[in-house]
Amino acid sequence: MILDTLGVGLLGTSTPVFNTVLQCSQRQQALENSKVWGRPGLSLPPHYAAFVNGVAVHSMDFDDTWHPATHPSGAVLPALLALAETLPVKPSGLELLLAFSVGIEVQGRLLRFSKEAHNIPKRFHPPAVVGIMGSAAATAKLLGLPAAQSIAALAIACSSAGAPMANAATQTKPLHMGNAARGGLEASQLALLGLEGNTQILDLESGFGAFYPDYVPYPLAEVTPTSHYSWVLEDQNIAQKRFPAHLGMHWVADAAIEARAKFLDKYPNADLSQIKKITLRVPSSKYVDCPLPLSEHQARHSFQFNCCTALLDGEVIVDSFSKSQMNRSALKEMLWKVRLENPQDNHSSFEKMYCEIAVETTQGETFTARCNTFYGHWRKPLSHEDLVRKFRANASTVLTADVVEGIIYTVDRLDTNQDCSMLWSYMHFNKHVMHRDERRYSALA
Amino acid sequence: MELGGVTRSTRYLSAISAARGLHKSALDVVERPAPEETVTSSFGRFIQSVQPRHLSPTVLQRSKRMVLDSIGVGLLGSTTDVFELALQHCQHMYAPDDVSFVYGRQGVKLSPTLAAFVNGVAAHSMDFDDTWHPATHPSGAVLPALLAISDMFHNNSKPSGLDFLTAFNVGIEIQGWLMRFSNEAHNIPKRFHPPSVVGTMGSAAACARLLSLDRNQCSNALAIAASLAGAPMANAATQSKPLHIGNASRLGLEAALLASRGLEASPLVLDAVPGVAGFSAFYEDYAPNPIASLEEHEHSFLIETQDIAFKRFPAHLGMHWIADAATVVHKTLVGLKGGSVSPNLVQEILLRVPLSKYINRPFPETEHQARHSFQFNACTALLDGEVTVQSFHTEALQRPELLALLSRVRVEHPHDNPANFNIMYGEVEVTLVSGDVLRGRCDTFYGHWRNPLSQESLQKKFRSNAGAVLSNERVERLIEAVEGLDHLDDCKPLLAQLQ
Repeated sequence: MILDTLGVGLLGTSTPVFNTVLQCSQRQQALENSKVWGRPGLSLPPHYAAFVNGVAVHSMDFDDTWHPATHPSGAVLPALLALAETLPVKPSGLELLLAFSVGIEVQGRLLRFSKEAHNIPKRFHPPAVVGIMGSAAATAKLLGLPAAQSIAALAIACSSAGAPMANAATQTKPLHMGNAARGGLEASQLALLGLEGNTQILDLESGFGAFYPDYVPYPLAEVTPTSHYSWVLEDQNIAQKRFPAHLGMHWVADAAIEARAKFLDKYPNADLSQIKKITLRVPSSKYVDCPLPLSEHQARHSFQFNCCTALLDGEVIVDSFSKSQMNRSALKEMLWKVRLENPQDNHSSFEKMYCEIAVETTQGETFTARCNTFYGHWRKPLSHEDLVRKFRANASTVLTADVVEGIIYTVDRLDTNQDCSMLWSYMHFNKHVMHRDERRYSALA
Repeated sequence: MELGGVTRSTRYLSAISAARGLHKSALDVVERPAPEETVTSSFGRFIQSVQPRHLSPTVLQRSKRMVLDSIGVGLLGSTTDVFELALQHCQHMYAPDDVSFVYGRQGVKLSPTLAAFVNGVAAHSMDFDDTWHPATHPSGAVLPALLAISDMFHNNSKPSGLDFLTAFNVGIEIQGWLMRFSNEAHNIPKRFHPPSVVGTMGSAAACARLLSLDRNQCSNALAIAASLAGAPMANAATQSKPLHIGNASRLGLEAALLASRGLEASPLVLDAVPGVAGFSAFYEDYAPNPIASLEEHEHSFLIETQDIAFKRFPAHLGMHWIADAATVVHKTLVGLKGGSVSPNLVQEILLRVPLSKYINRPFPETEHQARHSFQFNACTALLDGEVTVQSFHTEALQRPELLALLSRVRVEHPHDNPANFNIMYGEVEVTLVSGDVLRGRCDTFYGHWRNPLSQESLQKKFRSNAGAVLSNERVERLIEAVEGLDHLDDCKPLLAQLQ
């Protein structure tokens, strides 16, 4: 999860939204500074570093997704790295991993307190709800806060939680992640200074329960030195995306690719304009139903767009969302031909949904395919090779090969590393920018 | 052919959709007669196009009162622990962008967003700031951000007093409009703390206005702010509550700044789009309406028809009814028995108040809890004949006479006493050991919008608050500056006294 998150974060530093928030954050200067990913020489106060790096991670909707639905890592990792950099005694790799796991675990536990949380969200964007709590928990852990202050951190974070779904599929969505990372870190800092909140914040309907109509919390099991603790991540694996779009798009892409293969198998030289009609059977989810997306953000949240891209190209990749690819006339024409159906048995849940596609040709023939579990889903996780391949592809847009390998190596051995500060140092390079120090480094190398 | 017909109308709708980049769910919204007229865009337009001349005398007068009161409570609030904590936090984490002033800390500067944050915390730190109907604390979310921005402008291009007042009123107006989109918002809140919901939006609107953003940027500022809004009620009556206002102010300013740099967000954030919650996420019942164009309609600011309440002592608004009711009994008791009130005389105290969990606290332990306790405020008023700033100091909280009275309190929630600041009342019934029963009732406390503080009383409150941290000279100059704000060519005279 850490490797994947770093990779998508590096890739995300090339987006306009990242540049906007970076400019905005640069007004501040600070006593302590944490590195901005992919911007050699540029540091920001830890909160703002967590903010911009968090935005980078979610800027292309390329980061991991869990069940119940949220993007857990992006809210936690940027906050932890920003914080770790400022600590007088740097944490060991194991301490970092532990704090990270705490941040993930808290999110998983909180999501299980509500049935509604198990479905694709409609009201509040989950990273803004549970993500900030995870960030607060993780940073509290890394700071070594006692229990009472950790509770305060959660309570303070809760007052900054929650962002409505309407900003999904817009340029502002990535800020939900950035704000989750920053808000959680800030909450821990305030708790460390002695700020208090409601000590029963997770128990009350008027507390964290405000974000759910059906909130039924229960206490976590005790952790003793000798017993085994059962982490949510052990029972429920995570999905890592193969291309930068909303998770629902991955079922559609896989189904479309299969239908396309069947079509081309029978008619190897077929012209795809022979397609008369495309029917997609998907779950009902308004914010990813976008017949004619205009921006890349909308395209990443459009069943129709991802279907047509997959049909045309046999794949959906990072470049599929570029302006030139989005403006292709063949693609635009095909978009008119797509019709959505929402079968009753297709639940709006990343655990249960499927996608069925029916491609009808002008000849009257129909090719169908169905995807129940796309490759990358937690039921069919990416192989280690493919995960590393994704990381290399992402990270190489910003880093040189040796730095890329350095990160892979460091993350792989994170639990045995006594000093993990190389990690944020590596994130600080950019092959397109020769920073003074870097020049010195390469000269020595 | 039927298929062609369907295709044609689909194409038409899809063309609109394409032109607006809307999701399918929003197509229903678009089918209204004027496609430009989304609720969201009407707000953006209002913020950008309203002019000083639209401010009526009543609006001017009332808003200046709000500005004065807010500065005063902010200055007083700069003496609190929570303020000190927030300030240390900001100074530690962020070296000064040395632009914007901090209440009660002469010479200390912070970056504009952080100044807005700490000054907002100050304003709400003692729950002494203004309250409106529907319920929220509107000024504390807006004023700190505007003052912080004003500090940002170069000395030669500070906004005029009238520009400042216009922006301030935009911030208040937007809050009032948003709250009227929900019936639930008319009652004492249970789920989200209103300043964190509408306050953030008001701050964004006001800042967008003072920064002269174009109407699209104004709409985007609101939409970005929506993703920063919403804090649950559970942190009310704790030390974290003041941060709700601080964050509302700061985050609204951030949203406006982000919008000014081109960040875009949902163009339908204020509209009711089924299946995708925008601002509606914060309410069970949300029915928005667009603000009519200023070119076609004479705009009437809400503050004109719905005045605001200023508090006489630093506690939740509900406490003011019960305190006034208890004061009546206190006077009667003193009249009967002479001297001071002794708990030994009292057998039982019955309070008739609305049902609202977060202000029903029999034995508050902290000042924050005490400010949110019917019981505490009733007993304090019964003992002392008044509730003041000092009533919440630690020694006062722990007085044995007070504790004795607290143990004799019973609370009732009559059906005719709803949790609504426009309708509620407070009744105190004290049964003496002698058997006599003394009653006091308050329907409208002095300071409520139905019985507003006189200008004299308001200034007295200000002098007492501001005087805690500023010299008398500065205090008087501030009063003067705010009084003449609409005539100032630039707001330097106001800012100078706060630096």
